[in-house]
Amino acid sequence: MLGSSESGAPARRATFPTWCRAAVIRLDNVSKTYKNGAVALSNIDLDIAKGEFVFLVGASGSGKSTFIKLLIKDEDPDVGEIWVGGKRLSRLRSWRVPTLRRDLGCVFQDFKLLPNKTVFENVAFALEVIGRPRAAIERTVPEVLELVGLGHKHEAYPHQLSGGEQQRVSIARAFVNRPRILLCDEPTGNLDPTTSVGIMKLLDRINRTGTTVVMATHDQHIVDSMRRRVVELEDGALVRDQTRGVYGYGS
Amino acid sequence: MGARLRYLLSEVFVGLRRNLLMTVATIVTVTVSLALLGAGLLVQQQVNLARDLFYAEVEVSIWLDDGISEAQRISLEDDLRENPEVSDLIYVSKDDAYEEAQELFEGQDEVLASIEPDFLPASFRVSLHDPERYLVVESQYAGFPGVADISDQREVLDRFFTVMDAFRNGAVAVAVLQLVAAAALISNTIRMTAFARREQIGIMKLVGATNWYVRLPFVLEGMFAGVIGALLASGLLFLGMQTLIGRLREQIVFIPFIGTAEVLTVTPILIAIGAGLAAIASFVSLRRFLSV
Repeated sequence: MLGSSESGAPARRATFPTWCRAAVIRLDNVSKTYKNGAVALSNIDLDIAKGEFVFLVGASGSGKSTFIKLLIKDEDPDVGEIWVGGKRLSRLRSWRVPTLRRDLGCVFQDFKLLPNKTVFENVAFALEVIGRPRAAIERTVPEVLELVGLGHKHEAYPHQLSGGEQQRVSIARAFVNRPRILLCDEPTGNLDPTTSVGIMKLLDRINRTGTTVVMATHDQHIVDSMRRRVVELEDGALVRDQTRGVYGYGS
Repeated sequence: MGARLRYLLSEVFVGLRRNLLMTVATIVTVTVSLALLGAGLLVQQQVNLARDLFYAEVEVSIWLDDGISEAQRISLEDDLRENPEVSDLIYVSKDDAYEEAQELFEGQDEVLASIEPDFLPASFRVSLHDPERYLVVESQYAGFPGVADISDQREVLDRFFTVMDAFRNGAVAVAVLQLVAAAALISNTIRMTAFARREQIGIMKLVGATNWYVRLPFVLEGMFAGVIGALLASGLLFLGMQTLIGRLREQIVFIPFIGTAEVLTVTPILIAIGAGLAAIASFVSLRRFLSV
């Protein structure tokens, strides 16, 4: 039946299963093997609902980074289907990928800030390159910098900031476009425990605005103290999915 | 749009300045290659100009044996008149030829003294509908009784045009090689710029910039080199044309020469080729960086 109604985009949208409205991310039997033969993910089934906060845990090489790469369509799965924000990624043409990424915020362990731009410019850059008008940029960037607690550091350059502050800039850039989903790959990996707590409070605050947060992490203390949903990967397989879970692995 | 334009211009400018040496090398290569190509095109135009003029007035002369009988001459004339290739026909008798020679060499008594009234053969001067079909006409009448020789003024001209054609082909061949080198240089420059900005490109891709938004500054940077090169090449062609043609024009009065107008018609072609080539080279060399 699905096949017969696929002649036009609106019709296809109307045939989305009902779970799509609840699940903002869905993986259906997803497997990914890299060209060198390394199995990154195997047979992953997972639903993440709108507004959830999910920790993705597992040892290095367990597939966490691949998981995030698949969600932003940086990589494509060999098998299975992925839906993100109502988009079926296997059906998403490459020129439509930017529209997917505008709906996703990404935060990385290494911050990925541009060293020759100020805090303000780094955040504004994310809006400039998607063609937002100057007036909107002037309005929203100060707002989001205020939100991450850097309202007083607009003109600072990344090298003048501490690691925690740099990660706040990176979060501000990821969130400035008000994405529905925030993907974080080891956001506290380079930070000391105290600073990490501050970053987690910020991510929690963002989550409370209704943004779905998926965070890959190694940080046992953070996972145990937050008591949110925990998804554990081991050698590419999903071995645990626990609401209000703990880190577990290694203990 | 203001922010977008400002971003674009600053990116292009920064890219050009960062690789100043490479940019200069690129522009010089583009200039040389396009100047050669333009020279080839101008030679072509010059040849066409001269060829059209000459060929339109070219006549085939059918020289007659001194011993041709009246009957043979009339039969030849009838045959020529019925020939669909022939547009016009003049019979030049020995006396006519002598008179013409008298006029042609008027004042040059030594030459005139050497020409006896009986010296020049009689001939038919034949104009053709299509001067290109000279060889067909020649083969038709070569064995005709009473025909001594058939000559076409084009034979002389063709020797001149062969030289010009060879020059043009050489210029175009070298130009094509140079253009390949220019494309490689542009591609390399763009790749260096893109590598220097790979972090920035990665972030742009991550936050959802379209491929075209990422690509445009690089493509424009390449096209800038292409267009500047084309303009410099046109300038060189203009100067070359001025000096060379100016001198030739004084010495050779009977040939029409190309002028500024022809250089101006070649300029947009060079700009289009320079810009197009640079755009393609930039576009292709960026593909690897865009697959983030």
